[in-house]
Amino acid sequence: MSPPEAVLVFAAVALPFLATGLVPLLFRFLGERTAYFGAAVALACFVLLLSLRGSEGAVGLEWIPSLGVGLRFYVDGWALLFGLLASGIGVLVFVYSAAYMHDEPGLARYYGALLAFMGSILGVALAADLVAVFLFWELTSVCSFVLIGFYTDEADSRYAARMAMFVTVGGGLFLLVGFVLLASVTGSALGSATFDLTAMLANPEAMRTALRDAGLFVPALVLVAVGAATKSAQVPLHFWLPNAMAAPTPVSAFLHAATMVKVGVYFVGRLRPLLSSPEWTLLFATLGLLTMAVCAILAVASTDIKELLAYSTASHLGLMIAGFGFAEVYGAEAGAFHLLNHALFKAALFLVAGIVAHEAGTRRIAELGGLREDLPVTALVAAVASLSMAGVPPFNGFYSKELLFEAAYETAHAAGGLWWLYPAIAVFASAFTFLYSIRFLMLFFGDRPDALGEVHRPPVALLAPPALLALVAGVVGLAPNLTIEAIVQPAVDATALEAHETHVGVPTSLTPAAAMTVVALGGGAAAYPFYDRLHRGVLTGLAALAPIRANWWYDRTVEGLERSSGRLMSRVHNGILRTYATWMLGAVSVFVLAGYAAASVSIPPMEVVVSLPIVLVLLVAIVAALAVVVAPSHVAGVLTISLLGFMIAIFYILASAPDLALTQLVVETLALLIFLLILEEIPEFYGDLDLSNAVRDGALSLAVGVTVFVTVVLSTRETPEAEPSLARYFTEQAVPEGGGTNVVNVILVDFRGFDTLGEIAVVAITALSVIALVTMRNRGGTQ
Amino acid sequence: MTTVVMRTTTRLVVPLILVVAVSLFVEGHNLPGGGFIGGVLTVTAFALIYIGYGLDFLEEGVLDREVEQNQFEERTVFAYQRLFLLGLVIAVGSGLAPLVFGRQFLTQTFTIVEHVPIYHEIELASAVVFDFGIYCVVVGGLLTVLSVVGAE
Repeated sequence: MSPPEAVLVFAAVALPFLATGLVPLLFRFLGERTAYFGAAVALACFVLLLSLRGSEGAVGLEWIPSLGVGLRFYVDGWALLFGLLASGIGVLVFVYSAAYMHDEPGLARYYGALLAFMGSILGVALAADLVAVFLFWELTSVCSFVLIGFYTDEADSRYAARMAMFVTVGGGLFLLVGFVLLASVTGSALGSATFDLTAMLANPEAMRTALRDAGLFVPALVLVAVGAATKSAQVPLHFWLPNAMAAPTPVSAFLHAATMVKVGVYFVGRLRPLLSSPEWTLLFATLGLLTMAVCAILAVASTDIKELLAYSTASHLGLMIAGFGFAEVYGAEAGAFHLLNHALFKAALFLVAGIVAHEAGTRRIAELGGLREDLPVTALVAAVASLSMAGVPPFNGFYSKELLFEAAYETAHAAGGLWWLYPAIAVFASAFTFLYSIRFLMLFFGDRPDALGEVHRPPVALLAPPALLALVAGVVGLAPNLTIEAIVQPAVDATALEAHETHVGVPTSLTPAAAMTVVALGGGAAAYPFYDRLHRGVLTGLAALAPIRANWWYDRTVEGLERSSGRLMSRVHNGILRTYATWMLGAVSVFVLAGYAAASVSIPPMEVVVSLPIVLVLLVAIVAALAVVVAPSHVAGVLTISLLGFMIAIFYILASAPDLALTQLVVETLALLIFLLILEEIPEFYGDLDLSNAVRDGALSLAVGVTVFVTVVLSTRETPEAEPSLARYFTEQAVPEGGGTNVVNVILVDFRGFDTLGEIAVVAITALSVIALVTMRNRGGTQ
Repeated sequence: MTTVVMRTTTRLVVPLILVVAVSLFVEGHNLPGGGFIGGVLTVTAFALIYIGYGLDFLEEGVLDREVEQNQFEERTVFAYQRLFLLGLVIAVGSGLAPLVFGRQFLTQTFTIVEHVPIYHEIELASAVVFDFGIYCVVVGGLLTVLSVVGAE
């Protein structure tokens, strides 16, 4: 295994992002032909990844070395399998989009987002640093949000986009915490704290021991599982996927069948050697099989062809997750091989669904039938893909499902007892899979409903991509072992716990797995005549029991959040300046004081040395402060505030800080003048003082005062006598280095000039914002 | 506020303030003062004029221009805006200059010129340029705020 060329790896990830930047420009010249530019970029990535085949190793750049974070990429069979799938299907989706998205507005945004999405997927596939993984992971969610919400003026589309964003990005945050937990033990497990996934995967034993010693194994596992489950639409977080079908069909084929939803599966496969344990099996096998069964049942209840395919996708994702859950070597084989098989047949099926919707004008299952006369080639493609989805031998989906059956059987056989539920659920779910697959296929056979209007032949650009996918799926089905040798075995090696030569074939004797297949297919075939009754039964059940649906919970949660944030807004954010000030000052005081309390700081003993002049000045200041509160008029109030300010200036003089005193005096004078300038505009009468307001303001003032006092005391604890180096440096160097005897000014303009530059930038920004807020407030639209 | 007392005081005091402001700015390197203090003091002088004579006085009485109603902020504010932008440019430019001589951003230096009549010796510090940038930003920025808010 030769190490990969760093340039090729970086190029494969960076190319789509660069192309995204070019899309708005190119779109002006190319128009709708930008699709072919996207296809060319995807093809270039495909070729780049293909050239990396056979190499294995890490490449990387430093990013935040102090935290052990780097932009690292790792090339192995598993990464290449996923990357090749994403870029290969990407080529077909771009070509398909050229015909499908004809005459749609906003295509520059569409192609830009699609390219950025492909780049993020390649990033996830290749990244070998947990921070980089997280970054690309969330980027896929953001691109998916833009693409699902492509029809921005449709409420459905916006609802679905927001839901997908909420669920997947929320899950990503769980993942982030999981990553931090993983990284937190690397110090003891690997010798140095790092986010480097390659290093963790090289020492799985040490990592597991360190995680268990810290008591973090199960938390980390669960957090990663939540992240993967949201992304890969596992029960009960599966509900966003069918809603995401509001996206244009090529997007559904690309994101919600072949790539984005597989990111979770991919990452579970990636972490399998690291975290494999009994807990891992229990969690992922249960989660996966449950999803497989529940979503297969929901697919049977679907009324729309894209909805059916969406639930079916979630169900198959469950199959892969369950595969990776089992510790048996067949599990890794099932997961890796099914990742490939599912991408091939499901992308083809989505593209077929797009053709049907485009040419027949409807996606409702009840209104479709007998399409083979109008769409003969499409029907052939659909037949290959649906039979593969159903798991019928010798189509490619059969082999990977057989591997799952073997893994489930072996696990149950070894452990016994309740573990026999695993193979039972797998068979049950497969029977439902067979049912809905055949139902989809029957759109092309049987009688043609009278209501169905004229159905056009699809153009070649629409037909070629699914046909090619079905062809590849067919070839994989006919020569599975060649495929495994070429591309799947390296992926299995990267995810398996021990080396094993994968070999599949149509069974010739009645092995347990073969018997399970017979039961599943036979059961499905026997139940097919009752399909309509099942369909109606599940629908009625769901309608009667709304709270059983995850979607219902999502809607309630979002509604609740909206309501409470509305209530919160009117308290915190109501447009009245004093409300903002109250919350801001109060929050700062509370947090600062809580911080001091948490750090359990103690007020240092102080030697209070005060001279008589200082006492007098401060007494006058206190009297002025009290006078402000009871001042009968604005002028009196302003003047007493100024008095307070001038007393502080005198205090500075007594404390031998002439520069500060001068500044205080000048600023105080200016403030007084500005007050006088605007005084005429302020209403004469404040209104009666509310007692509760007075109490609140008093408490707030007290809190702010205490905070400032404590902060000053604590931050000046290090007196110049104790830490003289800096102060002495400035006083000693002011004349020889800065050429000035005013140390304060030399520090301002010379030693710390950069700070001063920042401060005058603030003054300039303030002036600009005043201009923007005051003189331009009447321009533009108002709400 | 436009009483006779106010106006007379303003007439007397503003030139003094401006002179003091300039001297504070120039002496800043060796005595209390500097760009910031000088700038704020200059603004104080302008604020006095605004209070005593109204916002249009500078345009009409000093520069002898016609002022249209509600057009106040157009010209004067633009001048102030230009001033603080100029100040930023001077400050950043004085920071960039050392780069030409292969020193770091914002490095300052000084020379002492001797045998000058009357003063005997004058210290020329490059920091004065930077300080002048600060002065311009403070004067321009605060006057912008003052005149825009005052015009309301």
